[in-house]
Amino acid sequence: MSSATWRNFFTYNKYAQITARAVRQSLKESERVVAEKRGTTALKYQQWENGVGGPQVLLNSEEGKK
Amino acid sequence: MSTLRLLSSAARRAPSALAQQRRGYAEVADKISLSLVLPHQAIFTSTDVVQVNLAAATGDMGILANHVPSIEALRPGLIEVVESGNASKKWFASGGFATVHPGNKLTINVVEAAPLESFSSEAIRANLQEALKVAAGNGSEEDKMEARIEADVYEALQHALGSK
Repeated sequence: MSSATWRNFFTYNKYAQITARAVRQSLKESERVVAEKRGTTALKYQQWENGVGGPQVLLNSEEGKK
Repeated sequence: MSTLRLLSSAARRAPSALAQQRRGYAEVADKISLSLVLPHQAIFTSTDVVQVNLAAATGDMGILANHVPSIEALRPGLIEVVESGNASKKWFASGGFATVHPGNKLTINVVEAAPLESFSSEAIRANLQEALKVAAGNGSEEDKMEARIEADVYEALQHALGSK
C-alpha cells in the first residue's frame, strides 16, 4: 500500500471517510445519488451571549474541502 | 483446531459411523453467526454462514466456525460470504473492522459497502486517473496523500471487479 503512511497526516476517522467517499464515487449512476447524500455533513452554529442567541451560521466544511 | 472440535462433538452426538465421515464444505454442520452492518444498513444480522473471506490490513483471511476471538482492521477490499453449499456473495467494502467474539460470532462493521454489480468500471477508471494525476501533482502533501488513498481504493476495486 503506497498510502501506508497516511497516519502522518490523518486520523483513522478521516482515512475511513476518504475511502468511503472513494467507494461512493465509484457506484453506478443510479445508486450514486443516494449514496452521495450519506457523505454530506453540515454544521450550523449559533453564538449565545447573556441569554440572547446570535445569528445561526451554516458552516459546511465538507463542501469546502472538496 | 475447529476440525478436531467438530469430530469430537459429532462423535458425542451420533453413533460412531458418523465420526469416520470426512468433513466437506457441503456438509458443514458448524456455522458462524455473522452480522455485517453499515451505518445505514444491516446486510446480515446474526445469520448463520459457513465461511467469510475478508481483506484484513494484515492480509487476506477466511473465517470459519469457532474461530479464535480476534479483531482485524479491514483494508478497502472484498468481503465474500459463503452461506451454504458453494454459492457465495461478494461485497466491496471501504474499510472497517471485523471482530470474532467468543461464542462463535463474527461482527463486521464497515463504513460503506456495495455488491460488485453496483459499481461502474468507467467511473472507477476515470476516478483512478484523476486521483493519480493529483497524487503526482504539485498540491500539498495532505492532498497528495488523500489522492493516493483514493487511488489505492480504485485499484482494489478494479482488481475486485476484474476477478469477479
